[in-house]
Amino acid sequence: MYNEEFENYDTYNVDQEYMGHTGDPALDSEYNKQMYKMPEVVKKYLMYFRNAVNEGLVFELQTLYEVTWPKISDDFFEKRPWPEEADVSALVDNDMVFMILYKELYYRHIYARIQGGPTLEQRFNSFFNYCDLFNYILSAEEPVPLELPDMWLWELVDEFVYQFQSFAQYRARLQKKSDAELETLNAHNKVWNVLCVLNVLHSLVDKSNIKQQLEVFANGGDPDSVAGEFGRHSLYKMLGYFSLVGLLRLHSLLGDYYQAIKVLENIEVHKKSRYAHVPACQISTSYYVGFAYMMMRRYSDAIRTFSSILLYVQRTKQLFSTKSYQHDQINKQTDQMYHLLAICLVLHPQCIDESIQQTLRDKSYHEKMYKMQYGDLQEFENCFIFACPKFLSPCPPAVDTAPEDYSKEAIRYQTQVFMDEVQQQKCLPTIRSYLKLYTTLPLIKLATFMSQNQRGVEKDLDKETQLLTIHLLCFKHKMKNVVWSKGASGLEGKFQSGSELDFYIDNDMIHIADTKVAHRYGDFFIRKILKFEDLNRKLHHLKL
Amino acid sequence: MAEAMKQSVATMLKGIERYNPDNLSTLERYVVTQARENAYDLEANLAVLKLYQFNPHLFNIEITSQILLKALTNFPHTDFILCKCLLTEQRLSEEPISQIMFLAHILEQCDFQIFWKRIETMPDMTSRITGFLDSIRKFVCHVVGITYQTIDRTHLSQLLGDINDSTMKHWIKKYGWREDGNLVFISNQEENIKTKNINEKIEFDHVAAIMKSCR
Repeated sequence: MYNEEFENYDTYNVDQEYMGHTGDPALDSEYNKQMYKMPEVVKKYLMYFRNAVNEGLVFELQTLYEVTWPKISDDFFEKRPWPEEADVSALVDNDMVFMILYKELYYRHIYARIQGGPTLEQRFNSFFNYCDLFNYILSAEEPVPLELPDMWLWELVDEFVYQFQSFAQYRARLQKKSDAELETLNAHNKVWNVLCVLNVLHSLVDKSNIKQQLEVFANGGDPDSVAGEFGRHSLYKMLGYFSLVGLLRLHSLLGDYYQAIKVLENIEVHKKSRYAHVPACQISTSYYVGFAYMMMRRYSDAIRTFSSILLYVQRTKQLFSTKSYQHDQINKQTDQMYHLLAICLVLHPQCIDESIQQTLRDKSYHEKMYKMQYGDLQEFENCFIFACPKFLSPCPPAVDTAPEDYSKEAIRYQTQVFMDEVQQQKCLPTIRSYLKLYTTLPLIKLATFMSQNQRGVEKDLDKETQLLTIHLLCFKHKMKNVVWSKGASGLEGKFQSGSELDFYIDNDMIHIADTKVAHRYGDFFIRKILKFEDLNRKLHHLKL
Repeated sequence: MAEAMKQSVATMLKGIERYNPDNLSTLERYVVTQARENAYDLEANLAVLKLYQFNPHLFNIEITSQILLKALTNFPHTDFILCKCLLTEQRLSEEPISQIMFLAHILEQCDFQIFWKRIETMPDMTSRITGFLDSIRKFVCHVVGITYQTIDRTHLSQLLGDINDSTMKHWIKKYGWREDGNLVFISNQEENIKTKNINEKIEFDHVAAIMKSCR
């Protein structure tokens, strides 16, 4: 119903209305309050939106939230905030709940669209608005009469964690802050405090009994039997579930990979379940889980997690392309996961699904993998930095530190930890490439090969053999990792050698076992058959 | 005692309680107990490091070192990396953490001879962790166990830190290995480490539909 009006709406003096900008946010907002005339379409939209929230028209809300809001944002508020609180409040009879929801969207829009990002005041106010929202939901005596689409709930929780991340990074950039700003920040150190964020997420988890629900569900029972009064409510149940994923993200950002995986107990990441139907949530979950596994040197688990979600993305790609704002995020995360998968496969070569392999072969990934295989540490680092989460330090820099940029410290540190691991494995690809050529190979012979790699200095063969033996032990140690096979927690698992090349040493002879994969014809023929069919069908439809 | 503490500590690790700095002293005592009684609780130790991460002014380098050394005793598990990820660049350069980092680095690379040489020079540090050296030997045995079918006896003894003959016999017995002249038979790896051939298997059911449509 709104689309029609968009077309007729004359985008007349939108620009003029903003001519009076002073650049000072306080004055500007004063100015906006006095001068800004809200377009009729926006007015109608907001009033209708409020109605839909109040009456719990979830289906309607889905469109209003996923389609109309982004559209109006594009058309009217591309580079400016949505109307101020006071203007909207008057339209909707000061509806408290709707205003909280509106403000959440209002700030989210500022974070995403306004150049230069939110001001300090906006960051604070957005935080207080979240507090209002979660207080309303969590401190109620009985479940609040609110029903929102799952997509919205997911993006709400995800945005909450994102804004914390954004604040922590903003907070750590001391170099551009005025004394007054620093003073405000120091005086309000409870705002966007990490404990506060953790507390909200944990409270949402507890209130909904989601952990108990998932456990019962995993054992084939009825989750409602343990959900309790709140947990049976869709709003609480889904907020609880998404908070678990929020915690996964938060723990990962802080480098706590153990808790990251542990928080998802009773969720089988690669399995579809009744809770996991928001694609963005599923993709994000797999990204963080796979990343945590990679850092824990559980490459098989990481590879399984990444390939399974990337396959899912490949197959459902068409579904996402229409919703552009989610599409960008999903594309970015997908690209990051291909990078991480490439890293894992270089460190731990193993068979993966053919169509994923194809993508890795096609795109620029191929060259990157090639460089990494040949020990280009810089390439490892570049891929890692591109693909890793935006790590942060949970605490702001101390009050008396020099006014510098501390926001990159955490990311630099996690990169260092990862690069230490890569450094330890530096010799393995070379050894692997030699072993691949043989089924048995005397230690001494391989030692000779290896020493030829280092040009120049004449080497003592005994020493070389000793060194090689150490590398071989390291090879076996690094390639034998914990792999999950069953159990509620993703932390469980048994030691396995999952990589495609393995060997053992019998005194001074190396015996090599490789994995040989025969060509697969089935897929190829099926694809050709389908193509032929399609062509045939089209030909029949041709009218000459 | 460690066993008894495990129960009470477990409740401190649940939910938001995990971040309560009031629990820190109990958790720190638990770390010391683990070191003394050769017990181990990764989750509790990570919670301590987490509390340090959130409250840098409470950081205790002595406890952190013990946690890191305990993580070394649990090789080949990657506990050490999990602990390391909760520290910061600056902490790594502080003594004795930097030394422990070096130990981990050479253990990860399985350069055991350097490890044993280095560890001789730091008796105070390791003596506080009961069973430290034997835990490392367990890791050595794990790596030997997955790598060798037979190994030279002298080499094995070097890997285990130049141990004397009777100790050597003890480890060989413990892992069910067998002495065979100058060699030690570890296990029959041939049976497990074999070349695999992955061939495509196409079942009739999988292609029935497409065959039908091809008529």
